[in-house]
Amino acid sequence: MRLPAFDYYSPTSIENAIQIKNEFGGSAVILAGGTDLIVNLKNRVIAPSVVISLKNLRELRKIDLAGDSLVIGAGASLSQVACNENVQRHFPILVDAIKHIGAPSIQRHRGSIGGNLCLNPRCLFYNQSFFWRKGKGSCLRTGGKTCLALEKAESCQAICSADTAPVIVALSGQLTIVGRAGSRSCSAQEFFTGKGETPFNLGPDEILTEIRIPIPWAPISSSYKRLSYRSAIDFPVINAACVATFEQEKIFRFRLVVSAAGPAPITLKDLESTFIGREPSQELFSEAEQAAVRAVEGIVVDNSIASKQYRVKMAGVMARRVTQSALTASRR
Amino acid sequence: MKKLLITMTVNDEQFDLMVRPNETLTETLRERLGLTGVKEGCAEGVCGACAVLMDQHPVRACLTLSMEADGTSITTIEGLASDGKLHHLQESFINHGAVQCGFCTPGMIMVSKALLDEKPSPTDDEIKEALSGNLCRCTGYKKILEAVRSTTQIDPKKGA
Ligand SMILES: Cc1cc2nc3c(=O)[nH]c(=O)nc-3n(C[C@H](O)[C@H](O)[C@H](O)COP(=O)(O)OP(=O)(O)OC[C@H]3O[C@@H](n4cnc5c(N)ncnc54)[C@H](O)[C@@H]3O)c2cc1C
Ligand code: FES
Ligand code: FES
Repeated sequence: MRLPAFDYYSPTSIENAIQIKNEFGGSAVILAGGTDLIVNLKNRVIAPSVVISLKNLRELRKIDLAGDSLVIGAGASLSQVACNENVQRHFPILVDAIKHIGAPSIQRHRGSIGGNLCLNPRCLFYNQSFFWRKGKGSCLRTGGKTCLALEKAESCQAICSADTAPVIVALSGQLTIVGRAGSRSCSAQEFFTGKGETPFNLGPDEILTEIRIPIPWAPISSSYKRLSYRSAIDFPVINAACVATFEQEKIFRFRLVVSAAGPAPITLKDLESTFIGREPSQELFSEAEQAAVRAVEGIVVDNSIASKQYRVKMAGVMARRVTQSALTASRR
Repeated sequence: MKKLLITMTVNDEQFDLMVRPNETLTETLRERLGLTGVKEGCAEGVCGACAVLMDQHPVRACLTLSMEADGTSITTIEGLASDGKLHHLQESFINHGAVQCGFCTPGMIMVSKALLDEKPSPTDDEIKEALSGNLCRCTGYKKILEAVRSTTQIDPKKGA
């Protein structure tokens, strides 16, 4: 399958990259590892005139401790992140999520963490060849007027399918975004807009440069799980991440994020207050399950290989499993 | 879309090539250098038939722009045999009947080579994980696993 024509730039500084991005705006796309972008280009779901490669931007590949945060460059490869001592020590949940991505020979060395967070949301009617899509007609994201998955939808309902997305949100990650006007910070949760056409809080002149994860002051318990049909070369049907800290056997902080349900990861905000001060119990795990089902019910639509009903039910099951596993795991 | 110059080492030989910006490594290796051992199965990252080593690491040639390979060292299946003698992984695949139609074989062998170069004595699970991104429609994987395992430094009598 041939790629469409485009011009190619490989800037050697972030400033230069921003300059080019600013000049071409929406018709320029960023190429990190290309393991998502190239497929989308081949399928003609996107048709940029310019591709800007990050390959010469070494500064985007650093992973360092800075103050009370771990700063991961958006261009760091997935293997670099998973093998990093500080990531392993503080955030084993992130290592776990990375191990679930695709297959080692696809992404581990080429795929980047920034590319994973910016993974184009996926949909059964979008991630298809041009030939396939011609039969079905255009959707909101490919120039049409209706969503092929949900007739009355106001915006694209494609699914956030990145393995690390719920994890970075659960770890309260902050993202650094650089553009023409300088650099700004945005919480990982706010980074996801919930709209499939413009899924990320990123301007046409902006690129994601870093992921900052605060180092927890107390040992955290965490768990990531995903459901997928195959254990490799497959995207999640539903995934979930749970992070908690304890004080004297009682929950002190709790965060549960369910994803691959809609265009953005879904944080179960209510539980963050109602679970405080309680001890892990079957009752608590069931509450997490019910809360997840309630939260995704109005969000999941029929646009995945799995049915809507199944995904809603499994969102509950995955939420229960990560909650149980995080709250009963040894703390680190 | 003007062509651009890249320099890459392929199977220990250096090449200066003018490539289109939208050219994939599969196209450059197959069509410009005649290295047809690089197979194009799905062309979208799923099957692993196009796996080559870039600076020792397995990558999908179908998902890699040739521009991204500028300055790197690429190894394809053609680069494994030396002095007319097959690489021991190639021998082993033949001896174990791990090759049927052979379409997946270059990818399987390249990914196995990367694993064994990094870890000469992998466990079965490590071999399976490494090869989890490579599909075979003929042999059913058992013989492929046996072929790779027999080249590791684990004494089969003692087990892992
Ligand atoms: C067969 C197959 C299976 C896969 N399975 C999984 C899976 O199980 N889980 C999963 O999460 N992913 C999966 N993927 C998708 C993809 O490989 C990974 O998400 C990978 O981490 C993407 O990283 P990349 O560097 O290759 O991104 P790229 O393809 O380079 O970029 C992805 C998107 O992000 C944008 N982008 C990249 N970096 C930046 C930046 N710094 N600033 C702004 N925008 C940026 C690009 O423009 C592009 O739109 C799979 C892909 C394939 C082909
Ligand atoms: S041809 Fe590259 S992975 Fe299938
Ligand atoms: S031998 Fe035919 S695909 Fe593997």
